[in-house]
Amino acid sequence: MKQISVFVENRPGSLMEVTSRLTEAEVNIRAVASFDTPEFGILRMVVDDPQKAKQELTRLGFVVRIYEVMGVELQDEKGNLNHMLSILADGQINVNYIYSFVIREQKAPVMVFSTDDMEKAKEILTKAGVKIVTDEEL
Amino acid sequence: MIWAKEETLPRKELEMIQLEKLKKTVAYIYERVAPYRGKMDRAGVKPEDIQTLSDLRRLPFTYKKDFRDNYPMGLFAVDKKELVRFHASSGTTGKPTVVGYTKNDLEMWLGNVARIACMGGASAQDIVQLSFGYGTFTGALGLHGGLEKIGAAVIPMSSGNTKKQIMFLKDMGVTLLVATPSYALHLGEEIRKSGLDPETDLSVRIGLFGGEGMTEAMREEMHRIWGKDFLCTQNYGLSELCGPGVAGECQELCGMHINEDWFIPEIIDPKTEEVLPPGERGELVVTCLGKEALPLVRYRTGDMTRLFYEPCKCGRTTVRMENLSGRADDMLVIRGVNVFPTQIEEVLLSIEEIGPHYEILVERKNRLDVMTITVELIDDRLLDSYSKLSELEQRIKAGLKSQLGLATQIRLVAPYSLQRFEGKAKRIKDLRKDGL
Repeated sequence: MKQISVFVENRPGSLMEVTSRLTEAEVNIRAVASFDTPEFGILRMVVDDPQKAKQELTRLGFVVRIYEVMGVELQDEKGNLNHMLSILADGQINVNYIYSFVIREQKAPVMVFSTDDMEKAKEILTKAGVKIVTDEEL
Repeated sequence: MIWAKEETLPRKELEMIQLEKLKKTVAYIYERVAPYRGKMDRAGVKPEDIQTLSDLRRLPFTYKKDFRDNYPMGLFAVDKKELVRFHASSGTTGKPTVVGYTKNDLEMWLGNVARIACMGGASAQDIVQLSFGYGTFTGALGLHGGLEKIGAAVIPMSSGNTKKQIMFLKDMGVTLLVATPSYALHLGEEIRKSGLDPETDLSVRIGLFGGEGMTEAMREEMHRIWGKDFLCTQNYGLSELCGPGVAGECQELCGMHINEDWFIPEIIDPKTEEVLPPGERGELVVTCLGKEALPLVRYRTGDMTRLFYEPCKCGRTTVRMENLSGRADDMLVIRGVNVFPTQIEEVLLSIEEIGPHYEILVERKNRLDVMTITVELIDDRLLDSYSKLSELEQRIKAGLKSQLGLATQIRLVAPYSLQRFEGKAKRIKDLRKDGL
């Protein structure tokens, strides 16, 4: 699954500038996560058209990059996130960051995470029966 | 106390000394310093053309750039074996400005510093805490030698480590503090925070300040923090000229007396390069008299000031220069260190992840100068993780630290968020109002 990362400054309105540009470009945001430091932040998003989003934002002067991340579908039940994370932990997979989808019309929730070892993560999750979501399935 | 009789000579007598030394200096530099001889030849001036003091203006200027072009020792007039000391200050493009001294030069220099110390009220009874950073900068060792010359006892404390500074001030019964004025304010506040009152709990009664200008507002603040009877003066110097010892305030506080038997000051319009009449504000140009290792004629200091020739109530007849009122160029003084924006630019341009545009913000926080440099991030590969971004930040800081010798704050912003300029860029914002 693809994620776009955008460099934003830590000041009022900087996130809104990104989202309003994407709205104008008719790009839908599926998931969003932002972490801040005192000075700057990285806004991470899963959108329905990452190429278009990158093109538009870059044209408008943002620093944007597309990254490959892992999307997994969880059953909406107690302990399921913990279950998925323990599979990863058992497999010695380090999670750099994790966030979840905003809304997903009636479908099961999706968690997005980043790891440096995508292949191995995919392998052990599949083996454990966790459903991996691709861009096309969103 | 007045240290040397040369400080009190009638102007006529002083000018006779100046003219005699000037003739010798010009002949000396023409004979021994090829780059300056070249300048004189191109200007069509020979040493024997200097017959009066006003002939000085026929001579070509020396610029900071000349030091860079002749780095490290191309402007020196003596053989290396004659040298006994080197100092260096920050240069405009990476290489420092290197200066050298013969035995006689050191004697002359420290004698001039001794005069300045006396002007500021120092005496043999004083115990001095010297809180300038030691090292290649001229400030610390200059004041150190000058104060020892008058018989004061010097603690070579160096800068930083405020706790230790306070301990020494108290335990050693320090009576005289040498520091940059902003550090003295910071230190004074820390002393108050520690529960001590400098006025009653310490013996510090004199401050000799330099390395950066002290405004009248800072002086008032100094009295508020260190006590109403605290005698605080400032002095002026440049490493190219010798270091501290060029000029200093006496207790009348009406400008800094220039040691005119060693330095001839002129005030010029920095644009037209014409000499301005006495009392007008312009760029200070200094000719050093009688220096052996590094004679300098008409050195462009870049400092803007005015000169007053009336004799002073203190008994000295030497000309007084007003507190500095800015620079003819874009040099900044940050925590006593000279910083040229070109030095910063050089570091930034060497880092490919950031763009060529930048902004420099200088503020005074907690009495100390803080320089924040804003740069635009252009490399999208760094968006992978915060650690990559903060690694970049650290790399910029480390580059600037090694170039400037100063810690800086870095602010990364998105591309195109800094203002673009057509023509001369205004990249510097100095918010240090009145130095407070």
